[in-house]
Amino acid sequence: MITLTHLSKIFRTELIETHALRDVNLQVNEGEFAALTGPSGSGKSTLLNILGTLEGFDSGDYLLDGKSVKGLSDSALSKLRNEKIGFIFQSFNLIKDFSIFDNIELPLRYRGLKAAARKQRIEQALELVGLHARRDYLPGQLSGGQQQRVAIARAIAGEPRILLADEPTGNLDSLMARQVMELLEQINQRGCTILMVTHDPDQARRAGRHIQIIDGQLHDSTLYQPLAAVQGA
Amino acid sequence: MDNLLHAFALALRNIKRAPVPYMLTVLILSLGLGMFFSNATLYYWLNHDPLPHKSQTLFYPQINATLQPCDSCTEPLRALSYQDVQKLSSSGIPSAQAAMFQSAGYARLPENTQQSPTPVALRITQRDFFTLFDVPFLHGDRWADNSARRELILSKASAERFFGRTNVVGEALQLGNELYTITGVLDTWTMLPRLYDVANGLNSAQSADIYLPWETAYDLGIKSNTTTMSRDSRNYSENFAVNGREGDFFQAQFWVQLDTADQVSAYQQFMQQLVQSEKEAGRHPRPEGNRLTNILDITEHFNARNRQLDAFALVSLLFLLVCLFNASHLSLNRYLASQYEFGLRRALGASRGRLQQLILADVTVNAFIALLLSLTVAMVAMALINHLLPATRNLTSWSPAMLVAMAATALAASYIVSLYPAIRASFGSLNRQLK
Repeated sequence: MITLTHLSKIFRTELIETHALRDVNLQVNEGEFAALTGPSGSGKSTLLNILGTLEGFDSGDYLLDGKSVKGLSDSALSKLRNEKIGFIFQSFNLIKDFSIFDNIELPLRYRGLKAAARKQRIEQALELVGLHARRDYLPGQLSGGQQQRVAIARAIAGEPRILLADEPTGNLDSLMARQVMELLEQINQRGCTILMVTHDPDQARRAGRHIQIIDGQLHDSTLYQPLAAVQGA
Repeated sequence: MDNLLHAFALALRNIKRAPVPYMLTVLILSLGLGMFFSNATLYYWLNHDPLPHKSQTLFYPQINATLQPCDSCTEPLRALSYQDVQKLSSSGIPSAQAAMFQSAGYARLPENTQQSPTPVALRITQRDFFTLFDVPFLHGDRWADNSARRELILSKASAERFFGRTNVVGEALQLGNELYTITGVLDTWTMLPRLYDVANGLNSAQSADIYLPWETAYDLGIKSNTTTMSRDSRNYSENFAVNGREGDFFQAQFWVQLDTADQVSAYQQFMQQLVQSEKEAGRHPRPEGNRLTNILDITEHFNARNRQLDAFALVSLLFLLVCLFNASHLSLNRYLASQYEFGLRRALGASRGRLQQLILADVTVNAFIALLLSLTVAMVAMALINHLLPATRNLTSWSPAMLVAMAATALAASYIVSLYPAIRASFGSLNRQLK
């Protein structure tokens, strides 16, 4: 589903070049739940941003469903993000003066769905995260854990095939973090591929696959299949 | 449609999010636009073509026929004498021609002797005046010919003022000590700028209340209350009353309609021949100074352009630019504060084009508020200008076309103010805004 081949990313300023990712090769199959771990500044979030097409790369290639995203126009990338990828952020990134319903509705609007279809999907997503009764609340009226569940509802309402979560429990206490993890596992069991950046070793263990990044290089510790083997399969 | 409504709902929500920066931006923009609109309105009315379908055919002839010799006097007088008018009228070339001048008097209903006479503005003119300048009649008609006597034509407002109604054809009105029969009532009519009266610097004055026949004025010794020139050393009033038609009294404006280039050429030849014959008769001692000026060039010709308004217009344009710059700066702060939200929207699948739609809706709401505020500012500014320059007080109306132009200007200005900030905000790097 996701194939990265010899992918590199360099951040340049006038004075220095920082190699955020070096010659990354990665294959993620449909339905996997992979945890990305590594020290701060190792390139985890950069990799996640590239996978989410929020950021470009300098060399190599990124194939999503067998098609390269390199050279796609802004509108094609937007469409791809909207239809195939859901994002969950550490700080939730909900719009403060939008109701829960309106926040979840945003990506569905960009999909061009009619109002009735949007409503149906929002209600299903809210049902799944257990916040149906709070649909008219503002984010500030919810706890951190509830806000992250809203963010998850927003991410899954469009029924994406990939969920990219950047430290989704980083701002939550342990109880709420556990609830969120259970929710992500539940979503993964429905067939959604999840890549999650985390600093928590327990959460990394709960994912089916653990990918470590150190200094921009990938160290796939579990279930890692060499790219050549995948391509030869 | 759903997306459009959503975009406008978001634009309105943006006002609530940061009302003070929002209103400051709009207020600065409105100040600039308002000052610009007020001056542009005056500039427009003073410079637009009041008769676009026929202005190319209307000309003001002048000859330098003054009895006093002066070899260095090559410029003709602004006004003509009665005799000049008679001679210039004899060509048979123009499809319409009329002499005129402005005067003033007091009028009242003849049967109401208790009523105090009301001051009225008079235009002494000839039959074709109403054809030359497309003056519409509500009731009755113009005079049958140029020999009309003691017959007057009323403006609609004057008819309502004196009679309380407009259909007063055949009624009598007393002007000074004379009784006149009303032959026509004009419909509402304003010609701005009043180019036929530029020679007197009255291009922004109101039209006359009463129109009197040319010959009647000379019968009664009515003089112009604007331009009157005489080279006769005798008492002007006494002399004019006796010799108004024959003497060297210059107070008339004269307009001709020449529909084709051939007619223009023929009329110029006619003027040359006239001057030649006048010189031969010893009535044109000065150098030839024939002029045939088109109505659109008449303001420059008489150097009657209001330079103060030109200066105001330039200053208001510069002020608008300063306001646009400042509003843009405020707008940049406002949009940069929303940069995170733009990033989020893009992450959720909005293309840059979609974000531009949201910005356009925001700009449209800005423009609408700015338009309303700027029209208010413009009205206040015009009242101030009218106070400083009373001659401009008739130039303060807005036609539908002007309002459309102002709305388009407000929209363009709002977009200019938002363009750079919006591009900065929507084209920023996505990954730095979201964590």
